[in-house]
Amino acid sequence: MDRIKILIVDDELIMRESLGAWLERDGYAVTTAESGESALALLKDTLFDIVFLDIKMEGMSGLEVLEQVKQSDPEVEVVMITAYGSISTAIEAMKKGAFDYLLKPFDPDALGVLIDRIISHRRQTRENQFLRQQAREHARFESLIGQSAPMQQVFSLIRDVAPTGSTVLISGETGTGKGLVAKAIHTHSDRCEGPFVVVNCGAIPEHLMESELFGYEKGAFTDAKETKKGRLELAHGGTLFLDEIGEISMRMQIDLLRILEDRIFYRVGGTRPIEAEFRVIAATNRDLGEAIRQRRFREDLYYRLNVVAFKMPPLRERKEDIPLLADHFLQQFARETNRAVNRISRAAIDEMMLYEWPGNVRELENAIERAVVVGKGTSIEPHDLPISSAVCAEVAADKSLAEMERMHIVAVLSENAWNIARSARILGIDRSTLYSKIKRYQIRK
Amino acid sequence: MGCAAAHTVAVSPIGNLQPELTAAVCGAVERIFNLPTAVLPLMDSVDFAFDHTREQYHSTLILEKLASLAPPEAFKVLALVGVDLFIPILTYVYGEAQLGGRACVVSVHRLDEGLATAVQKALLPARVAKEAAHELAHTFDLRHCKDPACIMHYCRSIRDVDRKSDRLCRYCRTLLNDELKRTGR
Ligand SMILES: Nc1ncnc2c1ncn2[C@@H]1O[C@H](COP(=O)(O)OP(=O)(O)OP(=O)(O)O)[C@@H](O)[C@H]1O
Ligand SMILES: [Mg+2]
Ligand SMILES: [Zn+2]
Ligand SMILES: [Zn+2]
Repeated sequence: MDRIKILIVDDELIMRESLGAWLERDGYAVTTAESGESALALLKDTLFDIVFLDIKMEGMSGLEVLEQVKQSDPEVEVVMITAYGSISTAIEAMKKGAFDYLLKPFDPDALGVLIDRIISHRRQTRENQFLRQQAREHARFESLIGQSAPMQQVFSLIRDVAPTGSTVLISGETGTGKGLVAKAIHTHSDRCEGPFVVVNCGAIPEHLMESELFGYEKGAFTDAKETKKGRLELAHGGTLFLDEIGEISMRMQIDLLRILEDRIFYRVGGTRPIEAEFRVIAATNRDLGEAIRQRRFREDLYYRLNVVAFKMPPLRERKEDIPLLADHFLQQFARETNRAVNRISRAAIDEMMLYEWPGNVRELENAIERAVVVGKGTSIEPHDLPISSAVCAEVAADKSLAEMERMHIVAVLSENAWNIARSARILGIDRSTLYSKIKRYQIRK
Repeated sequence: MGCAAAHTVAVSPIGNLQPELTAAVCGAVERIFNLPTAVLPLMDSVDFAFDHTREQYHSTLILEKLASLAPPEAFKVLALVGVDLFIPILTYVYGEAQLGGRACVVSVHRLDEGLATAVQKALLPARVAKEAAHELAHTFDLRHCKDPACIMHYCRSIRDVDRKSDRLCRYCRTLLNDELKRTGR
């Protein structure tokens, strides 16, 4: 849902302002910097999608800035802005990783075409990442585990709410089990025989969202060879789970609101109104209140969704669940991998109790999976766990801190199919820090 | 304009323009935005915005002047000019608007491209009205829209202008209504 972020680096105020204003009208979030130095400072805290970079500036040259930008964030696309006379430099910049260059003043249509190209390029890369990640995430359904008071409250709320058919909004940090709660509500409802249809709002590219949700009629667009039902229609008689609802675009928010109000919609290219009856469950790890204040999420949609609210407690606030969960995952992975490991040592449990688990249950699950695989004996020991407190406890072991850090980063990255944003979240560092560590440790896919 | 009309859009033709163009713009504003209009010539020329090296007119300067000249009762001001407009980073623009602000301007200059015969010339008011509504909608914080039929579609060529309809798509319509509600109109 975040708008594409663009950084303009130019020492001429008038160029920054005119390009910035134009890009804002085109719908992007724009930041400007008057020098390479201040651009690099901005890039430390914020990840931009596109950087427009003037080749000729006072101080650091455009080429120098380009190199450092690409170092701090290899995923950002850089467009060089050049004047007549510096085209050879622009060509050199493309060899150094710039996406393209524009000769100023440029044609408005050339600018539009270029931005479209960059966006579809980035979308492609991200879709590929997501597909890889999905292939790994096995579709197993595990029931929720937890003896802590907050989890017991969650269970009793599920029992109360499931049969009512009310719309539910589940919020909570990443990895706290929001997906499991949604499935549990469905399973305990009287529509459990009906379909449970998941829409991952963060993973479906915006231009495909409409046809995914509503379906399309044959001939609605060039590729529409057959009429296809959308997910809303497929959810008829069951539950529609809108996962990562905080990522949904402003346009789709408008459509969703309308559908939640009258439960009638049209297939793309269709004129026949389609009625579908389904329960809606939505989940998000974002602060929707904040998104509403920033006018990135519709308040009216929020109230439509937030009929019953579930707040998933982070694992660090219910540490008494850790041994139970760890043992559950141990049994499961030992079975799956046929390993002889069957217990977790006291010391390892102690380490886990000390750790903060920013990635919550998912991080714990991944830690145990890894420990089962790398562990030598029948028991999981602290040094089998890729968590930082365990590293400190094991200074006498044969690995250096840096080695452990590198291993943990590799594990988290591959666990998350190199999704940088997600990995950074789990590691509890920001994305640019993660990028610099990847570079420093020379980690490759 | 009296107090009762504090949500009026002031439409300001500058220079020698056919009255049909102004009329078409007023009609479009009233229909699309459901707001009253008043024709209000705010200045005689935009010569102050002329750039000698580019031999074009800097539209951002026109916007600033418009905003300063607009009477307090005018909710928004929309200027129509005949000259070719630019912003420093781009070779030309059809118009410009203050995003979420008060002033916008549209140029007729490039919109008569390909209109030679009298029959074809009859297309001009519709083109101007579409681009004027587009710029005015920017002052309501609307951004460009992917729907090629929507007024808020950014037109890369005159063909795109002719192809788009004279309406907002359902999304942009909702966003406009939100903004009208938010500003209490
Ligand atoms: N209480 C629990 N008992 C057993 N397994 C759990 C529990 N909570 C989470 N898990 C497991 O942790 C992993 C993450 O859970 P889930 O996908 O539901 O998290 P989420 O809150 O949806 O996270 P995100 O916001 O990142 O999508 C899953 O593999 C799930 O099986
Ligand atoms: Mg989830
Ligand atoms: Zn525009
Ligand atoms: Zn639109």
